[in-house]
Amino acid sequence: MKSEILYPGAFPMARVELGNGEQIKAESGAMVACSPTIDIESKMEGGFLGALSRKFLTGEKFFFQTLKATRGAGEVLLAPTVPGEIVVLELDGVNEYMVQKDGFLAGADGVTIDSQMQSMSRGLLGGEGFFILKMSGKGMLLLNSFGAVHKIELKPGQEYIVDNSHLVAWSTTTSYNIEKATSGWVASFTSGEGFVCRFRGPGVVYIQSRNPGGFGAWVRQFIPVTE
Amino acid sequence: MTIDTPNALCFGDEFPASGTPCLVHVEGQGLTIAFLSDREEGESRSEFVEFSELTISAGGLDHNQLVAAWASSAGQRTLYLKSPELIRAFRQAAPAHLSQPLEQAAEQVRQVRQRHRVVWGLVGGTILAVMLSLWFGSDVLVELAVNRIPVEWEQKLGESAYREFLTGQDVMKDGLAVGAVKEMTQRLASHVPHNPYRFDVTVVKSDVVNAFALPGGYVVVFTGLMKKADSPEEVAGVLAHELNHVLQRHGLERIIKQLGFVAVVSIVLGNPPGLGGVMKQLGIELMTLKFGRAQETEADTTGLDLLHRAKVNPEGMITFFQRLAEKDDGRVEWLSTHPMSSARADHLKARLAEMPKQTSEPFSFEWSKVRDALGVSSGSAP
Repeated sequence: MKSEILYPGAFPMARVELGNGEQIKAESGAMVACSPTIDIESKMEGGFLGALSRKFLTGEKFFFQTLKATRGAGEVLLAPTVPGEIVVLELDGVNEYMVQKDGFLAGADGVTIDSQMQSMSRGLLGGEGFFILKMSGKGMLLLNSFGAVHKIELKPGQEYIVDNSHLVAWSTTTSYNIEKATSGWVASFTSGEGFVCRFRGPGVVYIQSRNPGGFGAWVRQFIPVTE
Repeated sequence: MTIDTPNALCFGDEFPASGTPCLVHVEGQGLTIAFLSDREEGESRSEFVEFSELTISAGGLDHNQLVAAWASSAGQRTLYLKSPELIRAFRQAAPAHLSQPLEQAAEQVRQVRQRHRVVWGLVGGTILAVMLSLWFGSDVLVELAVNRIPVEWEQKLGESAYREFLTGQDVMKDGLAVGAVKEMTQRLASHVPHNPYRFDVTVVKSDVVNAFALPGGYVVVFTGLMKKADSPEEVAGVLAHELNHVLQRHGLERIIKQLGFVAVVSIVLGNPPGLGGVMKQLGIELMTLKFGRAQETEADTTGLDLLHRAKVNPEGMITFFQRLAEKDDGRVEWLSTHPMSSARADHLKARLAEMPKQTSEPFSFEWSKVRDALGVSSGSAP
């Protein structure tokens, strides 16, 4: 399985080459085009209950689509819904990543996707809800972001502060606390940041250069109100 | 070199920030760390670190990983162990000087788990408490709110609903039946102390067996219900029940309760899609149902008292309710909103037995003539 990012930038597309019999799971609706040798199935990852919990708890899609090269090798073109970069991560069986609910684009068959409960403070204030996706296993993982993706590398004990709505994915060796952006409650919200996450290394944190919620609020003011 | 899969992540200056996968073996004196990433290049590399060099703590996103740090010749190294077997092996082999930090790390994990359980338990308990207090304590709040709303508002509310309903109906303007219903209503209303309502009763030509009251004193009786009645006392019984819905301001209570409950549920749950939405709807329905039953009982009891005060034989109320329930052929609409249970009848009978006996005063009209006017052939009781 080989992957390549076409048109890197705001409107990228991922090309994944599948060998005969290989398969990849992708967010439903992610497939743009594919070779005629590829079969598309929709599958409930993690069984019915797993899919149900993912749907209701994380807001992710109930079905993932599985693209399988059943009749010979072929390629698949995948694209996310929102404009923004695609990053490719390679999971080696030990590395695990937490991914915010809209961040998953596609994963190799060996990648396991679970919804995991967060602690109360992270769930309430972190902005990702109480349940986020945990990616483990082995193989290629494609994540998408809103805007560009920036990778923050943290050495053991090194700290970094991220606005919670800019998070895409982070390795499970990091830990984080939710904090007010400034020392006072009022200043914290008037500064426009509200809550921030203080990450502590070692590990990697992927952030997105745009905030989907902020963009939505900005767009809303231009939508004409219809009677 | 074993071909085992890596079981830990090692961090250090020369490794990538996401850590490098490695295979850790617990030996008698320390740990052997084999770096598998180098294997592809053919030069598998391994290090040995003695227990005495290690410092131990708990780390990771959920504080459930064992972190071992030491200073190697190549700089500071940090090892993240997650696999339970590995951690167990480590704990068994570790010498005495590590057992205290290990115990502390384990304690930290336990504390984090405990805290999660406590916090989730508290939140669950709070939600349950709010729901229970809503279920049992809302009556008092609703009553407070209802008492603040003037009767005039209630009348306007009822009037608009009343007019809307009557536009599509065949209203009986005058006749014996209308006169009879008006007399019954006046007699009952005159025995209500401090009555702020002016009751407006309309008879509607319809075979539907029903009668209802709208907030503000607007009462509708269907001819279908009158045809089923053997005596005027039976109709008066239904009227007494309906008038008390008005007097106890049940319609208003219901509106406020439903509005308030929907508001509270919406604040607590937001507007959840799917399963959450279904649960929300179900909760609201249940609440309305429970409330409805309580109101019916209240209207029954106060209705019976009113009949007694107005010197109308209250037996009619009970027998009519029972007879309607027995002969329910699906057309008695009144029963769908006023389900007749034996408990309800028993309750009324018990209350009637407690009342002092009195001779009831008959109405001025003749019921057989009213029935004739309604087109029921006399002698053929329904």
